[in-house]
Amino acid sequence: MATQKSKPVSIFLSLTLLLASTACDLQPEDGDSANAFTTYRHSMDGAPSSLDPVHASNIYSNFLVVNLFDTLYRYKYLARPYQLEPNLAEGLPLISADGLIYTIRIKPGVHFIDDPSFPDSKGRAVRAEDFVYSIKRQFDPEMRAQGSWLWQGRIVGLDEWKKNGADYGQEVSGLRALDDRTIQIQLIAPFPQLTHTLVQGHSAIVPREAVDHYGQEFAIHPVGSGPYRLQSFNNASAVLVRNTRFRQEPFSLAAEGFDPATQSGLGLEPLEGRMAPFTDRIEIEFIAEDAARWNAFVAGELDFVKVPVTQFDQVLANRNPPSLVPLMAEKYRLIANMESGFVHTDFNMDDERIGYHPDPDRDARNKALRCAIIKAFDWHKRNEIFYYGIGRVFAGIIPPVSPEFDTEQDQDLISRDLDGAQELLSSHGWNASNLPVLEYGFAAGVTDRQMFEQFRSFMTDIGYPAEKIRPLTFATYGDYARAYLNREVMLATIGWTMDYPDAENTIQLFFGPNAAPGTNSANYNNTEFNRLYRASSTMQPSPMRTAMYRNMNRILISDCATISGISRTLILVWNRDLAMLPDRSFVGGFFFRFVETNAPSAGDGTD
Amino acid sequence: MQYALHKILHGMLLILGVTLISFMLMVWFGPDQTYTLIGKNATVEQIEEVRSQLGYDQPFLKRYTDYLVELFTLDLGASHSSGEQVGSILKRTIPVSLALMIPGFVLGNLVGIALGLVAVQHRGQWIDRLITGFSVTGMSLSFLIIIIALQVLLSTPFGVNLFPVRGWQVTGLGSYLQFVTVPTISLILVTVGYNTRFYRAVFVEESGKDHIRTARAYGASPATILWKHILKNSMIPIITRFMFSIPLVVISGSLLIESYFGIPGVGKITFDAITNGDQPVLKAVVGLTAVSFVVIQVLTDMMYKLVDPRIA
Repeated sequence: MATQKSKPVSIFLSLTLLLASTACDLQPEDGDSANAFTTYRHSMDGAPSSLDPVHASNIYSNFLVVNLFDTLYRYKYLARPYQLEPNLAEGLPLISADGLIYTIRIKPGVHFIDDPSFPDSKGRAVRAEDFVYSIKRQFDPEMRAQGSWLWQGRIVGLDEWKKNGADYGQEVSGLRALDDRTIQIQLIAPFPQLTHTLVQGHSAIVPREAVDHYGQEFAIHPVGSGPYRLQSFNNASAVLVRNTRFRQEPFSLAAEGFDPATQSGLGLEPLEGRMAPFTDRIEIEFIAEDAARWNAFVAGELDFVKVPVTQFDQVLANRNPPSLVPLMAEKYRLIANMESGFVHTDFNMDDERIGYHPDPDRDARNKALRCAIIKAFDWHKRNEIFYYGIGRVFAGIIPPVSPEFDTEQDQDLISRDLDGAQELLSSHGWNASNLPVLEYGFAAGVTDRQMFEQFRSFMTDIGYPAEKIRPLTFATYGDYARAYLNREVMLATIGWTMDYPDAENTIQLFFGPNAAPGTNSANYNNTEFNRLYRASSTMQPSPMRTAMYRNMNRILISDCATISGISRTLILVWNRDLAMLPDRSFVGGFFFRFVETNAPSAGDGTD
Repeated sequence: MQYALHKILHGMLLILGVTLISFMLMVWFGPDQTYTLIGKNATVEQIEEVRSQLGYDQPFLKRYTDYLVELFTLDLGASHSSGEQVGSILKRTIPVSLALMIPGFVLGNLVGIALGLVAVQHRGQWIDRLITGFSVTGMSLSFLIIIIALQVLLSTPFGVNLFPVRGWQVTGLGSYLQFVTVPTISLILVTVGYNTRFYRAVFVEESGKDHIRTARAYGASPATILWKHILKNSMIPIITRFMFSIPLVVISGSLLIESYFGIPGVGKITFDAITNGDQPVLKAVVGLTAVSFVVIQVLTDMMYKLVDPRIA
């Protein structure tokens, strides 16, 4: 009788145990104990959906892609401002006098990881032809690639290759492998940012055999020559393990741009001369929920966290410069990492209610209205309430992280001016009854809704009727993007993450021919701005080019096409016993190879 | 046999109806993945290219019939986001969700039944009021608050720090218990209020029936009345509630639990598919949930006959 009674319990326990055993997906494949490795446990606030370089369009994908694959170039680990450094390439490119032909040699003896897609499962040597193939994939419609914009209209014959059916057997005259180790790129016009594009995850080098072998599932079976190979991957975490065949290159503090004045406390000095990657195993947890990410970090389950804004009060002792409260400073290090991008709210210049208008008088009145809205916007409050007051407000579209940023910028441009706003409205015949309805678009979410409400309160301060400022909400970001790329959103708030440290990457956001569905979601179109952009886009960095960039910035500010902007400051915190300098800017993720988990305790560093 | 066939035929019609409505909702009101898949500075031609690859330019009827064929053949295609075969995604995630949810689901129901019985036995007394109050409190608490509070109390140095905050590195019974305990407690806490209220109402209704009064008149003990007469005769609503929760547990999982505890189950996959507009994954989950409901309904009807032979 007793046996009968316990039967359901036994069945229940057996079932759950059976399920538990089938649900074990994170065990080391080779049976090695995870404890035998040195392990760095990283956290990210989002997850990549694909590890294929053709889809590496966000920071989450890039973090993994640049560790699983090789790119020709990367940024120096420690140098700020950012400086290019050869990665798979032997050196910086040889550029012809006219700036049109780039010749790049790749390092010898570099191999892809062993994989069943290769004969005998042995990874073969990386060849220049692999780079050519990898870039061609970005132009193959079958790949649904997201990186072709980097080289579209730039490389001789590449666009035509796509138009002619994307036949990999057909050569592209401007993209060739001269031999196994030499790549030659011929440009249609000078493109000074080309080398920066070769840092991007999109340019990472893949072997054709593996792509053919795995098909669409190459996105979850990455085969590259980077410092790590993938052990497991799902929507909650990824585990990377050291690529034991990764090329042996001694770490050099000087070559990586070490600055003893600011970086001597990071514990990096003992790493000199050692071979990267320093850590055997990288565990990356994808945790979108702030509370869960923070709890996991304080419980010691993570080595690194981007501190949620909601925790700033508990974590920070000071704001400027940010520093940790003493209790946390004993265990952790901190760096305030200004984002490589900015947030801006664009007016849809295609909308005759607020943008360009065929009637010159109404056009002038619309401009006055836009300028009044910008003057009424309170950047100080926006920064205080949503970014803990540690964001960096600036005028225009050249963010502080770019080398062309104007540190002497007129601060009045970002100061609230209610009197000036009201004067503009009244002098151009605007009053409460004839002001147009403002539709402020955003993807449904608490913070965005709060930002809308704050915007509405700013506008009511200049007499704009609250009922004329309406939210235009979308269920998902994809729906929101579809709306503003179809020019259906009157006021669209957008965050832009720079692809490379050159203000060209943000200025192109307002270049007329890039209008929606391109990145110019304001649909701004100014003849002089466009002329300057075209002229500067072929110029190498120089004081003259910087002056042209700043001139374009002034034109845009004067046309009042965007409410801009703020660069957010990210607070990154990690365990004190790690020797590393984390970074999320410009591609991000290259620092994984330099993380040392067994570092001797160092003194005070950047915190 | 005829009864079963009749039910299966009804089930097939139900599947057609449910899949048609859900497919219409997905196609006409669901997120458009085109704009999350295009690169920067996409041209109109590139947007059309992606739309065509996603099949958005196909007539509705063709898309729907293709969907039915996919469901029927279980050839569910590949995720538009990751390229992974939907079948292998489900194969990987459903066991995780089951292992995660079953303990909480079963225990939550058992605790609910037990508290419901205790409440009924002491109906109108302070114990009944205490259990009812406890249930209402449980129902009023946000799932999110329960999860975060339990994480802090059980898994961080601010509490007892006995369990991992999150993750699913399950390699055996020990690690399974470690990773499943806090999610299970969360699930029990959040469901026990609803379960207790439901089961109490069922038992109260049953306890007022004539046959219970007759049993009392015959001098049956309170325990016999409770276990033999009330519980046994309440099996139909219990089975209904239990069975109809199964598809949600198996297919939909629990989004909040999986997200906050970092568990790679089917709930999180579903949520990501909804927000990204990954229709192959979404279609598979919605379709399989519908099929599961119908299968469960047929099974439940058959079980009714076993429990109560009077049902025709």
